[in-house]
Amino acid sequence: MIELPDLATGGLAVGMLSALALGGGLLRAQRQQAKQRAEIDALRRRLKGVLPTFTAEVEHLAHQRVPAAARQLTHPHVAVPGPLHPQTAGSALGHALEQVLGKVRTELDTQRTRIDAAAQAGMRGATREIQAALYRLQDALRQLQQKYDDPELAQTLFQLDHENEQSLRRAQVAAVVCGAWVGLAREESHLVEAVTGGQARLAGYHRVRVHNHLAAGTGLVSHAVEPVAIIVAELLDNALRHSAPDTDVVVNLEHVHHGACVTVDDAGLGMTQDERARAQRLVAGSEPILLTDLGDPPRMGLAAIGQLTRQFDLSVDLSSPSPYGGVRAVLRVDSHLLSDIDPAERPPAASAPRSTRTATRAEASTGSGAEPSTASHGYGADRDDDASGADADAVSGHHAPRDAGGLPQRRRRARVAAAARDVPAARPATRHPDRAAAALGALQAGTAAARTTAGEPTKDDSTAVPEAGQAARRRPEAAPDDTGETDKTDKTDRNDHTHQDVNEGGTAR
Amino acid sequence: MTGRPGGRPLVPAYLSTGGVARPSRPQLERLSVLTGTGTPPPAGLPAAQLALLDALDDGSLTVVEAAALLRLPVSAVRVLAGELVDRELVLARAPIPPAGRFDPDLLERVADGLRALKHT
Repeated sequence: MIELPDLATGGLAVGMLSALALGGGLLRAQRQQAKQRAEIDALRRRLKGVLPTFTAEVEHLAHQRVPAAARQLTHPHVAVPGPLHPQTAGSALGHALEQVLGKVRTELDTQRTRIDAAAQAGMRGATREIQAALYRLQDALRQLQQKYDDPELAQTLFQLDHENEQSLRRAQVAAVVCGAWVGLAREESHLVEAVTGGQARLAGYHRVRVHNHLAAGTGLVSHAVEPVAIIVAELLDNALRHSAPDTDVVVNLEHVHHGACVTVDDAGLGMTQDERARAQRLVAGSEPILLTDLGDPPRMGLAAIGQLTRQFDLSVDLSSPSPYGGVRAVLRVDSHLLSDIDPAERPPAASAPRSTRTATRAEASTGSGAEPSTASHGYGADRDDDASGADADAVSGHHAPRDAGGLPQRRRRARVAAAARDVPAARPATRHPDRAAAALGALQAGTAAARTTAGEPTKDDSTAVPEAGQAARRRPEAAPDDTGETDKTDKTDRNDHTHQDVNEGGTAR
Repeated sequence: MTGRPGGRPLVPAYLSTGGVARPSRPQLERLSVLTGTGTPPPAGLPAAQLALLDALDDGSLTVVEAAALLRLPVSAVRVLAGELVDRELVLARAPIPPAGRFDPDLLERVADGLRALKHT
């Protein structure tokens, strides 16, 4: 009968126990929850701190670092800033951000090259057309120059031709910068002609003084002619542009050990160290050219020089200042681009300055007394020939080209020489009217003497001719430039004919 | 400048005269005869003028002949020659008129005279 209370106590005990257990569990759970809540709070606080940092880092990337990296492609001196917080640099975030920058850079570079190539192709096509059209115009203008010699018309034609040359230069340079071929095949030409040709393409060509110290006949192989002309034109253009309009630009052509040099000196302001370095980099042609690098308006001259020096194995140096205060530009043409042209067979253009070397040789021959009075101009080598006394040479003069056999080749010269073979002494005396008069006087005196002695016909020949001969023989003594030919004056009848011709020409006026 | 078969002249004609086409002596014609005076040229004479003097070194040339020889247009050579005449380095003469036909009567009389001279 104890069962009921026992049951009750048992039940109570169990209930208390479970209540205790539950209470303990509840307490524990509550404590755990509090801890977790604190942890979550801490985490949330940390997160609240990290998120703005991350956002700020990305914003910094977007606003500062990416634009700077893009700008750095065109302007290498621009520095790309690092991450905002120095501690992110080594972290995973830092690496990820660097990768973003790297990818942006590569992609920009690719796009830039692609767009530039497209722009260059477009410009190449356009300039090629323009260049061809300007060459056609040049042909037409030069035909007109040959056809009409009315001074007013000729003046206009000269101006148009010059304008055309300048446009042609610009079109050609733009084409070359865009990677096109120079656009014109030339034949082997004298180096001085290429330089003078380049000079003619500029508005200020009057200010250019060319001094040619090359040996006569120094030529360029055909494929180097137009590049050299373009390079010289651009160097001269720079020199003219950056010097005062009342100063001269001096060009010197000289031989160097391994070729020839064209030195362009201006008396302008010169370049700063940075400009010089940039110019030197451009003309070296080692880096690919991007139109976007050339500025606005694009400065193409140096870039074109760079293209050509690379393609044609020429070298241009801008690193030294000029003794005149400005810039000294030196174009070096290596000997494998040089050739020998026979100046007698193919004389350089009339406007091309002649070599100072031949002048010194001519002076040397003056010193030896070969051709004292007229040797101060002209080609020394031929003067020497004169002195050596070969008949045809002596008469055909120094301008006459000769082949291997020593015979003149050009038409007009050939005629003179052919006539001269019969009468070698004809030429030098034909110039002075007073000498002509003296000769004619001698002839008249001779015939008069013949008439007075007409009664003795046997004496006719013996008196008339020798007197004229003596008159002719006297002439060389009066004019020292005839000294080489005193031994040939015995045949004077041809001489007197030419005098008469000259005199007739004079009286016919 | 012209006449070279294989190519475009490298040096344009206007460079020879410095862009001037109006001669200082307008009376120079295509067939005017130029003769060098033999005076040594002064230093600093432009290259084209020296070239013209050189061409005249062998005797007289007409303006057109000199132009062909120097490969320059006639207008340029007229300017060059004008300047050289001004410097008294070159003499210029009017064109030689084409010879008229000789009077046959005159020729006969000359022949008769010569014959008479021979027989006396």
